[in-house]
Amino acid sequence: MSAVATNLWTIPLFVIIPIITAILLNLLYNKSRTIKVIAIASSIVLFVLALISPYGFQWFTGQPGVTPGGTYTFDASIFSYRLSLEYYFGGLQQILITIMSLLLVFVVFLSASSLRKNIGPYIALIFLLFMSSAIIIMVNDFYHLWIGVEMGSLLLAGVVAASGESISQKAALKYTFFSALSGAGMAIALAMILGVTGYSNITNAIQYIMSDNLSSLSGVLYIAFGFFVLSWIYAGGLAPIHPLKSDVYGSAFPHATVMLQTQSKLMIVAMGLIILRLFGTLPFAREVMLSVSVLTMIMGVTMALIQTDLRWTLAYLVVAHSGLVTLGISLGTVQGITGGLFQAVNDIVYMSVLLICCEAVMYFGKGTSIKTVGGIAKRAPWLALAVVIGAFAASGVPPFNGFQSEIILIQASLSSGLPEVAAIVLMVSVTTFIALFKPIYNIFLKPDNSPIAMEGDAGAGIATMAMVQPTSPVPKSIYLFLAILIAIIIVLGVYPQLALGFVQDTAIKVVYFPWVP
Amino acid sequence: MEMKELRGSRGVLAAVALLIIFIGVTVAFVQLNGNVARGISPEYNRLAHLQQPNSLSAWVYDWRGFDTLIETGVIYVGAVVSVLVIGRGLVRMKQVEGEEPVPQTSLDLKIGSVNAILKYFIFPLVILLAAYGILIVTGAATSGGGGFQCGVVVASAYLIGAVFFGKKNPLNFRRKFLIAIGSFGWALYALLGLPGYLVTGYWQYNVGTDLWSSIAGFPAQIPSILHTIFGDPYRLALVLKGGTFYSTAGIVPLINIGEAFNVIGAICLIFLVFIYGWSDTEEAKA
Repeated sequence: MSAVATNLWTIPLFVIIPIITAILLNLLYNKSRTIKVIAIASSIVLFVLALISPYGFQWFTGQPGVTPGGTYTFDASIFSYRLSLEYYFGGLQQILITIMSLLLVFVVFLSASSLRKNIGPYIALIFLLFMSSAIIIMVNDFYHLWIGVEMGSLLLAGVVAASGESISQKAALKYTFFSALSGAGMAIALAMILGVTGYSNITNAIQYIMSDNLSSLSGVLYIAFGFFVLSWIYAGGLAPIHPLKSDVYGSAFPHATVMLQTQSKLMIVAMGLIILRLFGTLPFAREVMLSVSVLTMIMGVTMALIQTDLRWTLAYLVVAHSGLVTLGISLGTVQGITGGLFQAVNDIVYMSVLLICCEAVMYFGKGTSIKTVGGIAKRAPWLALAVVIGAFAASGVPPFNGFQSEIILIQASLSSGLPEVAAIVLMVSVTTFIALFKPIYNIFLKPDNSPIAMEGDAGAGIATMAMVQPTSPVPKSIYLFLAILIAIIIVLGVYPQLALGFVQDTAIKVVYFPWVP
Repeated sequence: MEMKELRGSRGVLAAVALLIIFIGVTVAFVQLNGNVARGISPEYNRLAHLQQPNSLSAWVYDWRGFDTLIETGVIYVGAVVSVLVIGRGLVRMKQVEGEEPVPQTSLDLKIGSVNAILKYFIFPLVILLAAYGILIVTGAATSGGGGFQCGVVVASAYLIGAVFFGKKNPLNFRRKFLIAIGSFGWALYALLGLPGYLVTGYWQYNVGTDLWSSIAGFPAQIPSILHTIFGDPYRLALVLKGGTFYSTAGIVPLINIGEAFNVIGAICLIFLVFIYGWSDTEEAKA
């Protein structure tokens, strides 16, 4: 067996570069041009690093592993108890961090271009949001996972509260309050796991649980499982607390929601996989996770149906589609986990398309409600095309990426003997389509009947309409970002193997070798 | 959420949920009693004295040093977010008319009501507390102290000064100064990992202590210049029953200093803006 590197050079950079960038941006505060240059350069570096990084471990602080014989090793392929804090970068981490860093480039560019006033601290928080998400998806340590989740919750609150509007501040405060409770719950869960095993390293804890007879401590494991699931629900905004997260998504700037929903997906994936690896063999564990997932999907799409504002429709759909991700993980089979992870990748991409389109609608100055804005397709036809493609992908229409992951989820549900779950996945797809096309029709396709538009129409002859009609105020950069994301949607829809190759390895490990990160 | 919302069926549900959690947690802890596994901790304890007498500091800033870097970040982020909510760094979309942020006013702090004699007692207390904080951080490797403890002690001194002396606080920290030292502290902590990373590939490898480069499989030898810079200034002779041992905490004392700056900057800034609010106009004038 060849030695597996424990000092992979790229891993620390995913944490340190955002930290240093955030500190600089916070200090620069209102120097917009310098902030823009540093932030964009830094995000591009992170994207390139994610793209080219080899796979391996980073044992922070360079402490070795202790073998059962008492000797020390720096080889991750040799069984040892880790003295160091351990991160792992593999296929799953690569695809998720690459997509997240690509989105970071877009979000940084959009926020630096579209926001006024003192943007330093805001963009600093976005970088730290990236950092906390990267930590959560790479870490193989309970305690550090907890810190990543805690920091992520705090950052989320900051990004949402940054607009200073009462609705966003209220949503941020409410979420912070409840996430503090879930953080405490997670700390209790970790204390119990640490008490039972003596290891905060996840690999070592799982090995201990699998090798020792812990039947007398099963109560402790069940309580730890309960608190862990509770944190998972809060961190991911799953049912029954989904309104908290939807409030957060709906009240942040749409470009910020791109990062927030990405962070949520990474959290539910990372925590879901850990729950499965650690507690997957406990009776009822998967059933509990499955119930939460199904409830999240149903509640999310139902709430999305009754919204009259594109921002809020998307806020609830993000939650509903998180349920699709957790559903796959909860099935606990290789096919199910593969589908769940692939769904996470796809979901991040097509939701980002829809959210960026939503932000573009705001440039027309009338908000995003179906009651106030209309006729956008006439002024921005490419934007209309982008939103329709995003909606098709979210609804699982072929040949877009959402179709490929949803079909895997349906097949996995049927293979697990759960046709009713497969039917719910199908229902979520159809309902997503209906929920999205109501605002899309009203905002993009229906003529603008607002008093200002009517006045303009009455005053101009049909022959001169083309001349007086204002051009789209949407920056060209938004079209570029949308084009890139739509290209990803189509490529993954036509060649799903491109992404499946990254996530299948993780699914196999979770099912057959749960101690391997 | 207001208390009246917890009346009726919601209150009953909340009480039942709390009762279930209480029983569950109690039963779990009873089961754990006497069954706690020691796991990795004996190994940490066995190694700690090779580095410094303060085992806790070795745990927190070396074995789990990167963990603590991110935990320190929580304090930094807490300050950035708190100050942002008060007004520093609120943003608006250029093209979109939105609701204006609610202006934040300073607290109605009436320091005139404080007894004048009391102020004479408080002044030396503030100075002594600040000095005590510095003492804690400089002796972190050998005592039970550390950067975080220093930070909270100095921040306490600052808060006491603010309550009794208002803007004539003996520790008259300004906002920009606090933001700068908080940022400097976290950056220092983060970048102290760089020497180890560049030489060995392991971020935050303690090049001053250098416990592991002699073990087979370790990727590099540490240049002696790094021992001189990061190890020798903190070298100690530990006289133990088994003999005299020489050890150095390496980069840990420097990390403690970074941590102290970060905590002082972050916590004092939170106190300051919660008391006096934030105004970009005032800040520009300052």
